[in-house]
Amino acid sequence: MGLKYIQPAPGFKEYLPKDYVDLIDFGPFGKEIDVQYMGQYKEILEEHPMCAGCWMAYFVRVFYAALPNPEDTIVLGTAGCARLALSQAAVPFIYGNYGDTNAVASGLTRALNLRFPDKTKDVVAIAGDGGLMDIGFSMTLHSWFRREKFTTIMVDNEVYGNTGGQESGMSPKGVQLKMAPKGKKFDKIPATELAKLAGCVYVVKLAPTNVKRMAKVIKRAVLAARHFGPTFIHAYTSCNIEYSIPTEEVLKDAREREKKDFGFEEYMTDEVKEFFEEIEKKKEVKK
Amino acid sequence: MYYVAKVDEEKCATYKCKQCTLFCPEANTLMFDDDRNTAWVNEPRCKGCALCVYVCSDLLKRDCIEMVMVTAED
Repeated sequence: MGLKYIQPAPGFKEYLPKDYVDLIDFGPFGKEIDVQYMGQYKEILEEHPMCAGCWMAYFVRVFYAALPNPEDTIVLGTAGCARLALSQAAVPFIYGNYGDTNAVASGLTRALNLRFPDKTKDVVAIAGDGGLMDIGFSMTLHSWFRREKFTTIMVDNEVYGNTGGQESGMSPKGVQLKMAPKGKKFDKIPATELAKLAGCVYVVKLAPTNVKRMAKVIKRAVLAARHFGPTFIHAYTSCNIEYSIPTEEVLKDAREREKKDFGFEEYMTDEVKEFFEEIEKKKEVKK
Repeated sequence: MYYVAKVDEEKCATYKCKQCTLFCPEANTLMFDDDRNTAWVNEPRCKGCALCVYVCSDLLKRDCIEMVMVTAED
């Protein structure tokens, strides 16, 4: 995309839908709006059919609000809950076949580098635990082995949520689900450890409880992917339907899981650390 | 009939904390009005999850939001 594609041709603005006009007048394109102003400007995510109180929908909301360069970002998703919201934003979205998100993202990143060598274009693959760690496992890992420069985000709801509740590799050991009544027999796949081994330069595990920290991590993951190599965020985004969490308690559940097994972890290589330190120094000088 | 969040605007304006707007799972739904210093709900977009009530009442003990039933005529 790019900023000039968002602006309507002269004389056409009055005929556009109100939501689009609001996005031009009060949206985040071309501005750097801090995530703490969510609710005070027109966000690029629109209405979507994800369930009430869905914490994955919340993560998607913060994700779009935190993108450092939304007008030049392309988002890739796959079958699963997240794409229901991901596809309803004013950012180009590519819906791959199940599990091929990271293969498509690899090709797209290379194509964008050839087509726009002098411009910054960000690519983010964001999919569920099934799409990235089960069915798309080989393509996810191989994109990391090849050190492809894009961000991968796993929104982990620990279940195949919209096909009836089958267990996934990321479901916790022992958990009983509607379509896995005997209980899961093995542990969660150690996704962040695999990411580090496979060559990701920036790896984070988090539960969405702290909006400023989430935004910082998303920005860092995108920036590190631009310059150094693959980056990975593993986010706990509960399925309140399959895990029977009352909608008003999904934040409470995320806080509890954060204390238990989803504590915040951030890993980065030395060169990435140096890069962020430089950026932060420059920001301080600006202030 | 819809189940939606309703903000007690007078009470909310005394705190101006904006925390509920940061935790709503829906975009462009629970908004903050800078002029009146209060949160407000874009009711047709509210899915009635009551997460904002948890943030306002359980976490912050401010009790500015309640869930109400509304009809299309409201």
